[in-house]
Amino acid sequence: MYGKGILKGLSVTWKRFWNTYIEDISWLLRGKKRYFTEEGIKHRSSKDTRGIFTIQYPEERLILPEEARYLPFLVYDEGPDGKKEQRCTSCGICAKVCPPQCIWIVRSNDPQTGRPIPEPTEFYIDADICMNCGFCAEYCPFDAIIMDHDFEIASYTRNVYNMEKLLKPASYYKSIRPENYERNDQERKAKEAAKAAKAAAAATQTN
Amino acid sequence: MAEDKNPFKDNLTFPQNFDPEKWIPEGEALLYGSLARYTVKNEGGLSTDRIVVNMGPQHPSTHGVFRAALTVDGETIVGLKPVVGYLHRNHDKIGERNTFLQNMPFTDRLDYFNSMANNFGYALAVEKLMNIPVAERADYIRVIMSELTRVQNHLIFIGNLLNDLGAMYTPALYAFEERELILDIFEAVSGARMMCNYFRFGGVVRDVPDDVMQKIKDLVIERLPAKTDEMDRFLTQNEVLVSRLKGVHVIDGETAIQYSMTGPVLRAAGVPYDIRRADPYSIYDRFEFDVAMRPNGDLYDNYLIRLDEIWQSLRILQQAIKQIPQGPINSQKPQYQVRVPAGEAYGRIESPKGELGFYVVSNGKPNPWRYHVRAPSFVNITALEQMCIGTKIADFVALFGVLDVVMGELDR
Repeated sequence: MYGKGILKGLSVTWKRFWNTYIEDISWLLRGKKRYFTEEGIKHRSSKDTRGIFTIQYPEERLILPEEARYLPFLVYDEGPDGKKEQRCTSCGICAKVCPPQCIWIVRSNDPQTGRPIPEPTEFYIDADICMNCGFCAEYCPFDAIIMDHDFEIASYTRNVYNMEKLLKPASYYKSIRPENYERNDQERKAKEAAKAAKAAAAATQTN
Repeated sequence: MAEDKNPFKDNLTFPQNFDPEKWIPEGEALLYGSLARYTVKNEGGLSTDRIVVNMGPQHPSTHGVFRAALTVDGETIVGLKPVVGYLHRNHDKIGERNTFLQNMPFTDRLDYFNSMANNFGYALAVEKLMNIPVAERADYIRVIMSELTRVQNHLIFIGNLLNDLGAMYTPALYAFEERELILDIFEAVSGARMMCNYFRFGGVVRDVPDDVMQKIKDLVIERLPAKTDEMDRFLTQNEVLVSRLKGVHVIDGETAIQYSMTGPVLRAAGVPYDIRRADPYSIYDRFEFDVAMRPNGDLYDNYLIRLDEIWQSLRILQQAIKQIPQGPINSQKPQYQVRVPAGEAYGRIESPKGELGFYVVSNGKPNPWRYHVRAPSFVNITALEQMCIGTKIADFVALFGVLDVVMGELDR
C-alpha cells in the first residue's frame, strides 16, 4: 500500500505528541511537580525522559556536573583574621601551559630587600581569548587556579579580568566542586604533615 | 583598554603597504573563468543561457560558510567549483607554535561535532612518536567515548539531511534529544559538552565515575537502541523520503577511491573499507563488529549506512562496557611539558566522517616541527564537482549534505 511508510512515521510523531501530556498527568497524579523543580530537571535529562525535553532557561537551570568548566578563577584561603591568603605563588606554569596565551602575571618584589616574593602583584586573564580548556587548573601545583561554573559573563566591554575580579574564597570552590575540594584538601594536609615530620626529624638529628 | 594591559598589545601586524579596508580578494575572475569552460550540448536546437549561481557562503543549506560557484543550464548543474577557506584559522601553522600538549584543545575545534574523535587521532599520533603504552582502562574509555561520538554524529546527520530535504526540524530535533543525553555524559567526564579536551598522552584526564558509567550503560543498552529503532520506523520507509533519495546517484566505488574518499560515503558505494578493521588502532581488534556496507551508492544507501553504523557502534559499546577493567587511567605521570623524541608519526582513526589522520614531525623541541591534519571533510569535498555535474540543482543540497562536512574541519 502506498503511503504505509508515511503513516508508520506519523504514528511516531503522534506518540511523541501525547507523551508530554501523559508525563504531565502522571506527575500530577503522583503529586509531584515536573517543572521548576530539581527532581523534574533531573528526570528530563535522564534516560527515561519522554515528551517535552527542554529546560526553560533563566527560570530553570540544568544541573551542572562537578567537572563542568568555564573561566578560571584564583582561590584564596581565609586567614584567621579575615586576611586573604592567596594560594598562587606566581610560578607561571599556568601562563606557560595556556594554549592561547591569555594569562599574564606581574611578579612582585619585597619593597625592603628587593627580593622576589611568591605572591603576584597582578594577575590578568583575558576572558575573551580564554578557550576554557582547563589546562591551567589541571597543571597548577598549588590548586590555586580552578575552573568556574559561572558562565554568564555578558558585558558591554572586553573582559580582561584582574586579580580583584579573579580572587574567590576557598569556600566558593568547595561549594561548586565538593569532591575535588575534598581530594585537594587531603593532599595538601598530607603534604604539610610530611613536611612537618621531615622538619621534626631534622630537628632531632641536629640535637 | 584591554590592549594596554596585555603584554602582547593588540598582537596584530600586517605586511607593508597592506590595508585590510581596501583589500579585494583575488582569484574571483579565475574562478568564474574556469566555470565558463563547461560546454553544453544543445539537443533539439534550442539554445539556453547558462547562469552562474553562488550558493553560499551565506546559505542555510551549506552547513556553515561553504561556497559553491555553480553554472546551471536551466535546472541542471553543468559546472561546479567549491570555494573553501571562509573559516580558515591557520590550524596547522598554529600547531607548530604550540607545544604538543597545547595542540590537544585546538584539535577539538576541528570537527566540533566529534571532538572526542579528534582528540583520539592526535593522541594516537603523539603516542606513536613518544613510543609509550596506553593504560588498559583508558583504552576502553577512549573507545566508549569515540563510539558515543559516532552515534550522536550519525543521528544528527540523519536529522540534518532531512532538514536539507525540507522536513523542517522534526527529525533534527528528535536526533538532538539523544545528542543532548550523550553530551551530558561528555560534560560529566571532561567538563565541556563540545570542546572536550579529554585525552592525554598515555590515557585520559580523569576517570569515569560510577554514576556516569551507569548512565552510559542505561543509554547504550536501553535508550539508544530504542531511539535508533524509532528513527528507523519514523523515516526509512517514508515514501516521500524514498522517492527523493532512491536512485539519486552519489558516487561509484571506483571514482570514490580515485578521489581517496573515506568514511560512510565510500562504504555506501560498495567498498567495505573501515580503518577500525583495515588497520586496527587502540583496542578495536578485541571487539566483534561488522563493517557496514551498502552496494548502490545512491542517496538512500548513504542514509541507510548511517543507521547501520549506529547499530554497529552500539554493538561495540555494549561489549566495551561489559569488558572495561578497573585500574589506572594514565600510564604516564601528569606533566605539562612532554618530552617527544625526534621523528615522525602518522596516527589515523576512523572518525565518523572518514579517515582522520594527524601527521606530526618532531625534532626533539617542545613543539612539533611540522603538524598536518588529514581532514576527511576536506578530502571528501574534492569529489563534489564530480558528484553534482549532471544533476538537478535541488539535489545539490542533498548531495552536499550527504558528504557530512563540517566547516571547522574543512577549512581548518
